[in-house]
Amino acid sequence: MASSVIRPLSRSVNPQEIAFFSKLSAQWWNENGEFGLLHRMNPVRTQFITDKLDLKGLDVLDVGCGGGLLSEGLARLGARTVGIDASASNIQIASHHASTDPSLATTLTYRHTTAEDVLSPPPSSGSGGISIPRQFDAVCSMEVLEHVDDPASFLTTLSQLVKPGGHLFLSTISRTPLAYFLTIFAAEQMLRKVEPGTHTYNKFIKPSELVKFFRELKDEETGKEWIRRWAGSGEVDVRGIVWVPWENQWKLLSRTASEWGGTECNYMFWVRRPEAGPSSTP
Amino acid sequence: MLRTLGNGSARRAGSQLFYARCRQRYASSTTVSQEPEHRDIVIVGGGPVGLALTSALRSSKAVSDALSIELIEASPLSKVSEWNPGPDAFSNRAVSLTNASVEFLRDIGAWEHVDEARTCAVEDMQVWDGLSDARIAFSAPEHLSAPQMSRMTENLNLQRACLRHLAASPSPSVKLSENTKVASVVQEGESEDGWPLVHLSDGRVLRARLLIGADGPNSPVRAYARIPCYGHAYATSGIVATLFHAPPHPLSANAHNSTAFQRFLTTGPIAFLPLQGGSSPQVPGSYGRPTTSSLVWSTTPELAKALIGSGEEVLSLMVNAAFRMPDVSLRYLNDIILSAHRSGTTISPEALREEIGFRERAHGVPGHASMLLEGSETMGMGMPSEGEDLLPPLVHGIQKGTPASFPLRYNHAEVYLGGEKGRGRTALVGDAAHSVHPLAGQGLNLGLADVRELVRCVEAAVRVGGDVGSLPALEAYPRARYLANHTVMSTCDKLHKLYTHGSALSPVVWARSVGLEVVNEMDTLKAGMMGAAGGRPEDALRAGLGAKTNWDLAVKALGAVGGAVQAAKIVRGVVGGVVGRATGRAP
Ligand SMILES: Cc1cc2nc3c(=O)[nH]c(=O)nc-3n(C[C@H](O)[C@H](O)[C@H](O)COP(=O)(O)OP(=O)(O)OC[C@H]3O[C@@H](n4cnc5c(N)ncnc54)[C@H](O)[C@@H]3O)c2cc1C
Repeated sequence: MASSVIRPLSRSVNPQEIAFFSKLSAQWWNENGEFGLLHRMNPVRTQFITDKLDLKGLDVLDVGCGGGLLSEGLARLGARTVGIDASASNIQIASHHASTDPSLATTLTYRHTTAEDVLSPPPSSGSGGISIPRQFDAVCSMEVLEHVDDPASFLTTLSQLVKPGGHLFLSTISRTPLAYFLTIFAAEQMLRKVEPGTHTYNKFIKPSELVKFFRELKDEETGKEWIRRWAGSGEVDVRGIVWVPWENQWKLLSRTASEWGGTECNYMFWVRRPEAGPSSTP
Repeated sequence: MLRTLGNGSARRAGSQLFYARCRQRYASSTTVSQEPEHRDIVIVGGGPVGLALTSALRSSKAVSDALSIELIEASPLSKVSEWNPGPDAFSNRAVSLTNASVEFLRDIGAWEHVDEARTCAVEDMQVWDGLSDARIAFSAPEHLSAPQMSRMTENLNLQRACLRHLAASPSPSVKLSENTKVASVVQEGESEDGWPLVHLSDGRVLRARLLIGADGPNSPVRAYARIPCYGHAYATSGIVATLFHAPPHPLSANAHNSTAFQRFLTTGPIAFLPLQGGSSPQVPGSYGRPTTSSLVWSTTPELAKALIGSGEEVLSLMVNAAFRMPDVSLRYLNDIILSAHRSGTTISPEALREEIGFRERAHGVPGHASMLLEGSETMGMGMPSEGEDLLPPLVHGIQKGTPASFPLRYNHAEVYLGGEKGRGRTALVGDAAHSVHPLAGQGLNLGLADVRELVRCVEAAVRVGGDVGSLPALEAYPRARYLANHTVMSTCDKLHKLYTHGSALSPVVWARSVGLEVVNEMDTLKAGMMGAAGGRPEDALRAGLGAKTNWDLAVKALGAVGGAVQAAKIVRGVVGGVVGRATGRAP
């Protein structure tokens, strides 16, 4: 457990541990339990992603993969997927769950590591297990941003993990009174659908702040802006996700729902890294 | 992985011997294949629902590209593929498929393999009550896009079509296993989220991501999933048989043999359902040709047994009587049949004819209207007699070997997905999820609607890389179907009870207390047959009636078409009928 990279469940792990993590995994993957809402949000997230690109054969990194909900779906859609999480037990849960599913055997890898360490692997980590790429066709990070302490540096790291021309997908919660009411007051305190303390209001990030960040972000290699001021809407998209209780499902709002598609609470964000090569604008 | 779990649990059990044995079994598993084969979807049951499901999954490119599917059926499906009866011989199992069902089958590409010449459009329906003769007539409303209410189709014709559809578009990911029984299903490992391991009679074990029970009323999948089922057996059996009769009068409304008839007797409803079109100017040589219909007669199990045991000639006389004679006379005839049966004999057709003739004279039935007249009484000579459209043609024969009976029951699984209540990665469709009284001809139609919704879920899940065995992937299925099925089922149940309890009351009391209710229920029934069951929601929407479910739609559509006025008339008819019988007039 001391090593920073935990390989997916292997025979060296003792049976008690298997039992422990299989129980934990059962809890995490219990679709009616605490993570039920998350399970139901997953199809909407994946749909947002597949609307932008065909995943077949692409290298995809899922940062903060948790129990592996998104990673499994991406892998099933044919992406060579790497799921990473800073929590060792999340990786154990995810690995255990995936190991029961033969459709994931060749396409899905989990690592107990951080985005920063994928970008620049610490010398001590060696070459244990299957090597993973440094850059990806798509990088996803779902419901992580609202939990990190330094979002700007986190976003910079993510942006550097994307190949030129590649895609970055985020989902997070906006900082609005409605978001406070729904995610902290209602979900945590009133309904206890989510463990209290899960969210901190002032860590929530508004869509406009994300857009601003990527407008100001100059590409490392080409110096191009990630979102060009006068470009069409082709390379960035923000869409709200709402929970429709009577349908027991989440819905991705259309762009017409409001300026950024009803992004008062949960929303999805997509941006594309500029292609390699010289900038077309002087 | 499996091996790891198996060894782990063995070690926990602390039994060295067991552990050793396990190892031995795994070691010797080269000959007897114990290693489970993975399947994304295992369907148990190759009845009409299981086959339609397989067809529908196959017809979705997204699904059959992504998933491995295997259907397990205990009986020989090759017999169904090779089924090839003569044009005038019909199977005794036929169903009335609603427009919605036919359209669904068309959408998935199975309907084009149905031998349409063996199907028969139902354009009108006559339903009446055996005590009061209160009657309700249904016909396909003008605004429906299809000029029919439903289409009578032999189960085998439909099953064969699905098999032909699958054979015409073979796929390495879709496998059919006939003559194979599911011997047992066990849960993998010891955890509550273990996958189902399906042990087959051929020695194979399938590890199923999703195990679908299309395995009929005694569903082994339902038992494995630990899904409770509530319901009750009706003390009723359904007699089926293939009926031969003269073609309806060419000038009558039923000229094409397109009317279904159903009379509610105190022992249960009897239905006469057209299987073969009558004479038609479009079909050369069809003039005067004998015609075929299907019988579904719900009655007491003992009477069912006695009737079938009495032979085809007695049964056909009794079918004619059941549509024509007043309740008192029918009960009398039933008693004769039953007492013969109880004493181990059967009544001869001649003796029965004599009894019927006697009852007819007592009721003042004029000679020319007797049901005992030989041959085809109309044959296109002269004008059709008055009221001819109100009764089915006289049966003059029954196809050999077709009379059979089935126990009827009401059963509804508490949930359709094991993940909601029992063991996960399981789903139920068709009769495995619900058995309904056949009086509205809805059983298979409900099953096909289940299939449509379940396939929709599977397809949606595949598109987003979902795990098709997981609850979130499937939960829209019961949401779309559970209440809809329940509405139809409980209406049929209520109607059945109204009628079978009617016999305990005097006819007048019965008609007053339940007459109105019956008419209302019949209206709902009508709505169901044409809406939930028959028409398409789009049709009703086009007619400007916004509503959520097909069933609701149909009920509203009726209001608009004038159901209320009709109901009022029928109420008068109920009372009138009772008074008429009380004064001894024949109906
Ligand atoms: C008298 C009567 C009249 C009816 N009329 C109509 C009508 O007009 N309209 C209508 O819509 N419906 C009607 N129905 C209902 C209709 O027939 C049923 O709803 C329909 O047949 C159900 O199909 P199914 O495929 O779900 O089940 P089934 O037809 O029962 O098929 C189940 C299949 O599962 C297989 N199986 C079971 N256990 C195993 C096992 N362990 N291993 C392998 N295979 C297994 C069986 O061999 C069988 O083939 C009527 C029913 C009756 C009894």
